[in-house]
Amino acid sequence: MTPSLEAYVMLSAALFAVGFLGVLVRKNTLVIYMCLELMLVAATLALVAFSHFNGTLDGDVFVFFILTVAAAEVAVGLAIIVALFRARKTVRVDQLDSLKH
Amino acid sequence: MPAGATRGPKMEQIAFTCLSVLALASAFGMVLSKNAVNGAMCLLLCLAAVAGLFVQLHAYLLAFVLVLVYAGAVVALFLFIIMLLDMQGGQTWRLRGLDLFAAAVVAALLITGLNLLAIRGRLESAPATGHSVGSSLKLYSYQLFTTYLLPVQVMGFLLLIAMLGVIVLSRRNERQEDSK
Amino acid sequence: MTPLHTALSVLLAPLASAAFIALFLRRRGTAASVVSVAAAAFAALGGLELAFGLSRFSGSVEWFRFGSFAVELGFKFDDLAALMLSIVGVIGLCVHVFSLGYMRDDPAKARYFGGLSIFMFSMIGIVLADNLFMMFIFWELVGFSSYFLINHWYEKLSASDAAKKAFIVNRVGDFGFVLGIILCYWRNGTVNLTELGASHDLVFSRLIPLLLFCGAVGKSAQLPLQVWLPDAMEGPTPVSALIHAATMVAAGIYMLCRINVLMVPSSMEVIAWVGTLTALYSALCAVTQRDIKKVLAYSTLSQLGYMVAAFGLGSVGASMFHLTTHAFFKALLFLGSGSVILGCHHEQDIFRMGGLRTRMPVTFWTFTVAVAAIVGLPGLAGFFSKDAILVLAYDRNPAVFAVLALTAILTAFYMLRLWKIVFLGEPRGESAGQAHESGVSMTAPLVLLALLSATGGYMWLYHGAFGGVFSQIPEAAGSAHVVILLTSLFVLAVGAGSSLAFYTSDGSDALEQRSPAAFGFLFALRACFDRAYDYYVQKIQQRAAMALNFIDIVALAGIAVRGLAGAVEVVGFGVRALHTGRINNYVYWFLAGVVVLWAFAAGVL
Repeated sequence: MTPSLEAYVMLSAALFAVGFLGVLVRKNTLVIYMCLELMLVAATLALVAFSHFNGTLDGDVFVFFILTVAAAEVAVGLAIIVALFRARKTVRVDQLDSLKH
Repeated sequence: MPAGATRGPKMEQIAFTCLSVLALASAFGMVLSKNAVNGAMCLLLCLAAVAGLFVQLHAYLLAFVLVLVYAGAVVALFLFIIMLLDMQGGQTWRLRGLDLFAAAVVAALLITGLNLLAIRGRLESAPATGHSVGSSLKLYSYQLFTTYLLPVQVMGFLLLIAMLGVIVLSRRNERQEDSK
Repeated sequence: MTPLHTALSVLLAPLASAAFIALFLRRRGTAASVVSVAAAAFAALGGLELAFGLSRFSGSVEWFRFGSFAVELGFKFDDLAALMLSIVGVIGLCVHVFSLGYMRDDPAKARYFGGLSIFMFSMIGIVLADNLFMMFIFWELVGFSSYFLINHWYEKLSASDAAKKAFIVNRVGDFGFVLGIILCYWRNGTVNLTELGASHDLVFSRLIPLLLFCGAVGKSAQLPLQVWLPDAMEGPTPVSALIHAATMVAAGIYMLCRINVLMVPSSMEVIAWVGTLTALYSALCAVTQRDIKKVLAYSTLSQLGYMVAAFGLGSVGASMFHLTTHAFFKALLFLGSGSVILGCHHEQDIFRMGGLRTRMPVTFWTFTVAVAAIVGLPGLAGFFSKDAILVLAYDRNPAVFAVLALTAILTAFYMLRLWKIVFLGEPRGESAGQAHESGVSMTAPLVLLALLSATGGYMWLYHGAFGGVFSQIPEAAGSAHVVILLTSLFVLAVGAGSSLAFYTSDGSDALEQRSPAAFGFLFALRACFDRAYDYYVQKIQQRAAMALNFIDIVALAGIAVRGLAGAVEVVGFGVRALHTGRINNYVYWFLAGVVVLWAFAAGVL
């Protein structure tokens, strides 16, 4: 028996939740960023599953674009983090609160 | 072949189970690891598992692209930056109870919600009709260059802008460095 | 020029003069005086030409409109207006010319003449107005001019106090006036005098005429709002002559005559008694005064009471006739007293004057004519107008007749007292001893007014131009004629004779000497109104004001305004606490928002 669509969607939901948990809990900016990527991957998984079970290509093509965007985003985001590190000498999120009232 | 017929799908089920367990475990590992580099490695493993799942869904091109782009480039970049910035080795990460509790609640909510959608919602899973369409490279690229041509071009622009952005961001640092 | 244009230029000439003086001639007193006198002369001649040229017209223009409510400005030039305009013009011109001499050495001459011009403009506006709104506008302007002129020597505290008092007391009366106008508009749908006169379904209520009468009570200084007129004598004497004797205070009477069509018998009874009591009260107060101008002020109050009583008894003609003759001789009395004051080097106490008969002959003779007119010597103007009122009272209301007769005795009494002490006997002060006659700019108006006082009672003077008004003067018939004549002569003899005999020419008040009790009583009578108002303002009104002030500070400013601001501030503090700067917190809030949206979408909320 092939795994049903619900199984894939639940797995995708679980991965997404884990990623979100990481974003909330961790203090290191880079780890937070990696968890964000994990969330994206979970989304792609759901898309591919749907595409497979509906017999269309749209989901797959969309995943292609998601991957491209994720790559670009990672590049820029990491550049920002590096610049932030050079300015503040830290990557811990709880020390980057200069927008505090 | 009745034996193969009973075992074939079962093999799929096993494969799915293994891969999903691997993905979840490595995801947890990444989230909970103290060392950032360990976390990156876990992410790599997770990506590999997801690539396997893609293969199981007959989306071969995507599996390769995932491994190539994501695991190969993005995670590598992450590792470079981690090693560039993380100078103190493993950072102490105290487990604050309130934080964890809130986060767990949140995760539970998410899972519950999505599962409500998945189980009680009407997801009619049509049986896989023979070859998944996504396995055909020809069809895939055909779609990419006709129906989705505009997004492809836009992606091109996006990548260009991202490149420019990165150059500008890193340049500012250099100028600051020079002025010191 | 059509009569309408003439009237318009008569109205606007003083305004132009005032504007010109205010803009360009602030420092040039002489030039200002010339401009002002020229404007007054133009107004007087224009007014006389309109009046005696028998041009009667009306016209109006709409000023602004709110839906169905429109305010118009217009002229109504009938016999009544013509008569009033002639009086205002002639007296105004006399006072302007007199001021040339009287105010020659005053440093603020330009301001004075500007004020006179503004007053002329406002007064002519009241005279020509054809609806109550317009009349009210000019009414207030006249009040302002009065304030401005009383306050001429503003460095004196008493002068500025008197000006404020005049304005405020007038305001009290004007409040009733405004209510009356509003009520009239509400009930009758119009405040245009011509329309009111022609309308067949007027609403007759007691309240409208009484409220409108409040305006006259304030402006013409009837009881209980008479307190401002004696204090208004702080202004220069020509101002007292023009405003507080002849014209402005007569505006109240004029207004009453204009709204004659709205009167009902019950309210006219009230009006008659208010006038009568005012006449009696002020006559009693005049007996004890030392200041020459104050005596004349109380005399004015008394005669105004006569006019109001005459109107209340039902005759517009008698009232206006007495207004006319009173304008002549009262202005003459005031200008004469101005001449005396200037001659005695600004001395106003009559017990320091005396013996001016030989030293200031022209003033003496003209003053005598005026005194004779006011006490009703047969043949002079005052005799005829007073008689008309007595006839009216004898016919309609014997009680009023008795009181008015008594007042006439008192009038003769105090006027002769004044005349004797000021002019006869020996001078009682050095300034009186060195008094000399004034220049021609001051004596010429005196002579003119003396002639008018002498001949003003004879109808041939008016060439039948004011038939609409003077045809209503009551004439005695049959036995009443004899009774009235005897009464007048009796009153004159008793009052004048007793006064001449009683008062001596030494430096003291004989009444004060002989019976201090009576003197004290009369003195207190005069002061009782002021004391009552003082008490009211200090105890009641001030306390109410302090209470309101407290409410304002605590409730309105404190709670409402700063409280609201404080509430906003608290909210601001609360919101500010959300800015922790930490990404984790922001993500939590983000999640909270997502959950809320989710709940909405799932239909839970």
